[in-house]
Amino acid sequence: MLLLSALVLAFGTYTYLGMQHYLVSDLQTTLARRAAQITDYVVNRPPRMSDAQIINEIKILYAPEANDRFIRITRDDGSVLYISGTPKDLSFDPAGINNITSNVPAQRSELTVNNNRLYIAAITTSPVGNNRQHYIVEVGTSDRQIQSALHGLLATLAIGFPVLLVLAAGGAYLLIERSLTPVTTIMNAAEDISLHNLSSRLPIAATGDKLEHLSRALNRMITRLDEAFQQASRFTADASHELRTPLTIMRGELEFIAQQSHLPADLREQIGSLLEETERLTHITEGLLAIARLEAGEAKVERSVFDLGVLATITAEQMQLLAEEKQIALRVSADQDVKVGGDPARIKQVIVNLLDNALKYTPENGAIDIRVVNADGHAILNVSDTGVGIPKQHLPHIFERFYRADKMRGRAGGAGLGLSIVRSICTAHGGTVQAESTPGQGSRFTVILELARSDPSIEAALV
Amino acid sequence: MRILLVEDEEKVLRFVSRGLRAEGFAVDEAKDGKHGLDLATSYQYDLVILDIMLPQVNGTEILRQIRGRGQLTPVLMLSARDQINDKVTHLEYGADDYLTKPFSFTELQARVKALMRRGRHDLSSRIQIADLEIDRLAHQIKRAGKRISLSAKEYALLEYFAINAGRTLSRTMIIEHVWDQSFEGLTNIVDVYVKQLRHKIDEGHMHKLIHTLRGIGYRLGDDES
Repeated sequence: MLLLSALVLAFGTYTYLGMQHYLVSDLQTTLARRAAQITDYVVNRPPRMSDAQIINEIKILYAPEANDRFIRITRDDGSVLYISGTPKDLSFDPAGINNITSNVPAQRSELTVNNNRLYIAAITTSPVGNNRQHYIVEVGTSDRQIQSALHGLLATLAIGFPVLLVLAAGGAYLLIERSLTPVTTIMNAAEDISLHNLSSRLPIAATGDKLEHLSRALNRMITRLDEAFQQASRFTADASHELRTPLTIMRGELEFIAQQSHLPADLREQIGSLLEETERLTHITEGLLAIARLEAGEAKVERSVFDLGVLATITAEQMQLLAEEKQIALRVSADQDVKVGGDPARIKQVIVNLLDNALKYTPENGAIDIRVVNADGHAILNVSDTGVGIPKQHLPHIFERFYRADKMRGRAGGAGLGLSIVRSICTAHGGTVQAESTPGQGSRFTVILELARSDPSIEAALV
Repeated sequence: MRILLVEDEEKVLRFVSRGLRAEGFAVDEAKDGKHGLDLATSYQYDLVILDIMLPQVNGTEILRQIRGRGQLTPVLMLSARDQINDKVTHLEYGADDYLTKPFSFTELQARVKALMRRGRHDLSSRIQIADLEIDRLAHQIKRAGKRISLSAKEYALLEYFAINAGRTLSRTMIIEHVWDQSFEGLTNIVDVYVKQLRHKIDEGHMHKLIHTLRGIGYRLGDDES
């Protein structure tokens, strides 16, 4: 914009100066031609006219006063043959203009009279008549006309340039905007692509230029990412799947041994311990498989509409005894009619896992609060506890698989996939889960889900 | 009682048939689909247990052929695939039950017994185990003649134990029957409830009825082992 203004200004200045230069030189040429004409026609031309005739001729032919011209014919000796009168525009006083006293045949001069610039062309004739008299013919005019023309130009430029600038800027903006629209589209689409919808692609900007190449290149990159991610996901799913048969066998054989009646007590304990580990392994593989499927979008989320508040209340009731065991107060408060769409069994798992987590980290005599509210058009589920909290450096990682804030934690921790499953389920439902915590005071988990458009025909029975 | 077991995984085949034989069943084994199909269509079994992924002829196909011939033999499917679709598909083809690997033998045993029992209403409205009485209509419990009050969940748990009296029940089975799968693998909810139930049923009695089998599960019964 600044550059554009500077350019326009430079162009204006150039135009103005060029115009000025052209007008001045044009005027000077005209004056010189006029002087030559008078010289030829009036003074030199035979038959020689009398002085009175000359004066008369000039008045008739040139009417210098009416044309704002200055004409003077001077003899050798300095006496004036003819001098024009005061011009109509009163821009100069002919009497105040000094004689040119030179013998140069033709010359141009500029002088300033009464704050007006005067341009004069003078011609000294060759000797004329019997007395071999030289004449000096001077023709001049003030720069008034030039000035008024230049003022006009300046006025035009002064009005025209801002308009031009605005138009140019507006046009440039529109042009840039139009050429950037595909970029904005691509940008927005790119923002929306995450690990969970890698199957979607950016729109191709069919502009035929670099932009189109860019969108295609980006899409190829997303395809490669998608493939890599699917491979990893498939590997997890396949591995978990393949572990099922050996786990079944281990469990079957161990159970058979454990149920032998003659088994010594310590051996029975050891077998029991092995069976517990087998079960834990089973839960880990099942959890991994569930996450892999949710992430791959393979586990189709069953869509039905249900009341999140009712689901939370029922789930909390079912876990009440676990809270009582630790003398923890488990309270639920829920808004009426917070309807969400999805698979109630999976959302219930979210609540169970969050409560399980809260119960695990809340010491005796603590409290856990579940709140279900309808806020800003979203269904929000809060689970807050008065537990040990999560140190700040661990907070961003707690939803990762097998992440443990407390490395020293024992096997009470289960499979280490609970929160990871929570996140996968939330994401599969188009929702989010976040955690906040103040170490020593407690943690708060917030699940945000889309509210369902109420459609009683697909409402699920929760009980 | 004769059971046909079709399973290509040798070790699974071994422990399942060994367990079933220990329960007093006669077990015929088939290690591939073709042999399984021959046996299933040649003899009248009381129960067929079918793995789904089998060489030559898969379990699904065997199931369809059995049902296609109008045989009403109960069929229990075993599978490493746990997608709801698989389950629904096989139940629609006429399978009576569907068990996902890895399963515990106690679970298989419970399902086998349930399938064998099908059609016989031998479950009375009253169950008595030693001096414990359960009135299934009134949801009332008495131990040694004294009324015990239970919460709804505690009652459901005790009733499930009582129906399967003498049989060990795994946590997975208990969760699936008394709660739902959302609780699986995460909480010690079963242990807490069993502890509570034990407190109400066994406290103050010399003869304990609820037994823990480490790593396997729980059992309600008269015996001590």
